[in-house]
Amino acid sequence: MQKLLTILAFYKPFVIWSFLVNIAITIVNPYIVPAVVTKLMLTIFVWYFVNETNAKRKLIFYNNLGISSIKLFSVMFFIDIFITISYLILITEYI
Amino acid sequence: MILEIDNVELYFKNKTILNGIYLKAETGKVTGILGSNGCGKSCLLQIIFGSLRPKYKLIRIDNSPILKPLFQTNLVKYLPQHALIPKNLSLKHIFKLYDVEWEEFITIFEEFKLFEPFKSKQLSGGQVRLVETYIVLKSPSKIILLDEPFSHLAPLHIEKISTIIEEEKVNKAIIITDHFYHSIIESSDNIYLLKNGATKLIDDLLGLEDYKYLSQGSLT
Repeated sequence: MQKLLTILAFYKPFVIWSFLVNIAITIVNPYIVPAVVTKLMLTIFVWYFVNETNAKRKLIFYNNLGISSIKLFSVMFFIDIFITISYLILITEYI
Repeated sequence: MILEIDNVELYFKNKTILNGIYLKAETGKVTGILGSNGCGKSCLLQIIFGSLRPKYKLIRIDNSPILKPLFQTNLVKYLPQHALIPKNLSLKHIFKLYDVEWEEFITIFEEFKLFEPFKSKQLSGGQVRLVETYIVLKSPSKIILLDEPFSHLAPLHIEKISTIIEEEKVNKAIIITDHFYHSIIESSDNIYLLKNGATKLIDDLLGLEDYKYLSQGSLT
């Protein structure tokens, strides 16, 4: 449970960006499959960016807890997808 | 527990960083690594930890090769020379994650008594470094890697951390590197000098002068 809370803390700075992407998806193509593909591509981009820059240093804290970068970004992706799908289901009820 | 690393080859582009490494650390002993700036000390610790992939390496624990990154075995904790703890987590949460007793911490460092709900961004650089060094040292892992633990610490805190290293080594294999060579020499049971990409076990401290890590007469 503590590890999940830690991954959520890692996800926290990305929440606003994710929400902005959700709004863009709602305007352009408010369907679940394109949303999942978009979020997957963005997660892979962020993972690559973090691994190739000094931001990689921030991962040591999580590595010390036995959490690899793959696990960290995978869990973050699934949390984000859960929020995105819930948001899309809710929003498409009103549009 | 005996940790050994050898056959390391690390290159950055065409430059050879490490190519003749043998290092042994064991429970009950502190292993110090000394070397000039840019000689590869931090890279070596990262390779042991598993966050840096060299071209070749062989890590063994009790003679069994470890093929996955060591951090995935939960046997190791690593204090990097840069900031470790995220700025948005409270000290309470961090101590819980690393399985370290807050009460014991504040008996040693009383000035932190009121800081439990604080986030690391509310502390000074030296205070953060002290917390990072403490949680890594006191966490229940069997192998501890410390990269410049004495940097940014006040002399009194260096003394306290040295005492904690002495206590913790009973159940842990500790590998330590720092430019405060006096503290490393005092804390370590074995010392390796890293020079020209290779390690040399220092049996006699005067060897540090012979290998031109220290100037002649520094140790007398």
